[in-house]
Amino acid sequence: MWPLLVFIAAVMVVVAAQIVLSHFLGQRHRERATGEPYESGIVSEGSARLRFSATFYLVAMLFVIFDLEAVYIFSWVISFRELGWSGYFKIFVFIAILLASLVYLWRIGALEAGPPKRRLREAEVK
Amino acid sequence: MTIAFYVASAVALFATLMVVTRRNPVHAVLYLMVSLLAVAVVFFTLGAHFAAALEVIIYAGAIIVLFVFMIMLLNIGPPPSTRQESLLLTPGIWVGPSALSVLLAGLFLYVILAGGRSVQAGSYVDAKTVGISMFEIYFLGVELASMILLAGLVGAYHLGKRDLPDEAEGGNG
Amino acid sequence: MNETLGTLLIIAFVILGVLHVAPGLIWLERRLLALWQDRYGPNRVGPFGLFQVLADAIKMFFKEDWIPPFADKATFILAPCIINVTALTAFAVIPFAPGWSVVDMSVGLLFFLAMSSLGVYSVTLAGWASNNKYSLLGGLRASAQMLGYEVFMGLSLMGVVLMSGTFNLAKIVEAQQNTIWYCVPQFLGMMLFLIAGIAETHRLPFDLPEAEAELIAGFHSEYSSMKFGMFFIGEYIGITLISCLMTVLYFGGWDGPTFGISEGLALKLVQFGWFAAKTFVFLCLFILLRASFCRPRYDQLIAFGWKIMLPLSLANLLITGAALLALE
Repeated sequence: MWPLLVFIAAVMVVVAAQIVLSHFLGQRHRERATGEPYESGIVSEGSARLRFSATFYLVAMLFVIFDLEAVYIFSWVISFRELGWSGYFKIFVFIAILLASLVYLWRIGALEAGPPKRRLREAEVK
Repeated sequence: MTIAFYVASAVALFATLMVVTRRNPVHAVLYLMVSLLAVAVVFFTLGAHFAAALEVIIYAGAIIVLFVFMIMLLNIGPPPSTRQESLLLTPGIWVGPSALSVLLAGLFLYVILAGGRSVQAGSYVDAKTVGISMFEIYFLGVELASMILLAGLVGAYHLGKRDLPDEAEGGNG
Repeated sequence: MNETLGTLLIIAFVILGVLHVAPGLIWLERRLLALWQDRYGPNRVGPFGLFQVLADAIKMFFKEDWIPPFADKATFILAPCIINVTALTAFAVIPFAPGWSVVDMSVGLLFFLAMSSLGVYSVTLAGWASNNKYSLLGGLRASAQMLGYEVFMGLSLMGVVLMSGTFNLAKIVEAQQNTIWYCVPQFLGMMLFLIAGIAETHRLPFDLPEAEAELIAGFHSEYSSMKFGMFFIGEYIGITLISCLMTVLYFGGWDGPTFGISEGLALKLVQFGWFAAKTFVFLCLFILLRASFCRPRYDQLIAFGWKIMLPLSLANLLITGAALLALE
């Protein structure tokens, strides 16, 4: 396994070298607006510590759960020939249960990103 | 390989120590990621390549990402006051748990020493072996896991949904 | 000793190779886009404008390396490093010719997936550490997109593993040499992987995280100098990686006519030539995609992933499994 360690070390050296080199080569200047966030030339208003929609939270949860599912599938896939049809039916049930939850979330509209349809319709009426 | 094992273990311990001492939640979570990566290296040196890869994919690549993501979404940032946390560092609170932990560590050491197992006891474990034992011996556990995942998915949605009407149209980008 | 030297040579070759291919790709992209859009593109510096990239790199190194005073300094520096380290490290398991890979790992494919799952930190942390509203929005978009498309990136690859019975990339290539290139039986899986790959590298049409019309430059708005350069190069390293994997997993890797050469270094070079040629085609495909598509809306992108790609990749897996078992 030593080639992998050498490789990773070499990659890190290359990356660190880029950071360090550009740090020393770059110019420095200091003016009135240097230390301000760039927001297309408009002076920044308020903090960037905003709170966000729960849509993103759901995407992250979906990801974690399906990633776990994927890992179970990985271990089936690698021993697939040895397990034969019995293993196939076991993983079929496994996938079916998770697909059921996906269908459920789909039906109640959890997979729609962005504002709910109801709110969009209200906006159109206005 | 033995050296790699000890170095990785040391990194894991150090990183975990940093996790509990950081004030900034993002930094703490990053140290937690390093700690999990080090554990993956430990698995690798013990011959469990499959487990090492899964450790990185699931823990470092999914669960910690979820943590970082949630911190970003809620934008907790450094806490305005650490009074509550400082309270946890008063001796009265940590003496009991640490006494119990020392007891457990002693027991653990005893088991290791009495069992006479060395660090290199692990032999190379093929991914195939893992798969076969999962789907032949423990397949009920696998099916139950899918039920738990289903419950987690549905529960996550309904728990998260409660907040939906509160937040305004902001942040759909 | 000889073997050690060979491995060190391969390590040097891979790192230097990738670090040259990625900037070369920038030049290629600008030239090809220009060709398809009826204009010249960079053609002033050196022959065919080839030195333009070099000039850009020098310029970038001498730019001000600005770390915003309002940013979280350590995380701000760490973010661009992560994408470069993970993308470059993933190259360790790619077999360029028989025996020509940094490590011959039994779980090579999972190693790639693990590295690509770590790549998410880069955009997430860059968005958060910049402490800029646009960066934060871009970072959120990027991470939601990468999370959504990562799941079925793994699942779509499993069709290949079903057919070859191994996670080892070199063995997957050998399995294809003995049977058929997997682009035929795994056509659906290949398309799913390609789409997931584009989304993972956030290239057009999936470049919403850096949609300049809406978000300035997305998660790297506040980055300058070589730190910006690292995000920029990281994107091209990612494209190269996905193209290499497309070649290895679906198009027989180094497999190809050897023109009667049957042994020695010459054979290896011919095989490497085939690998490089196939990878080059995919690199051009990535650029052609950029030239031809427009962006979808963000909610369409997320919904597309969960509603179409995920069920399709699971279906691909189950159908492949059933077909293989029935044929046995």
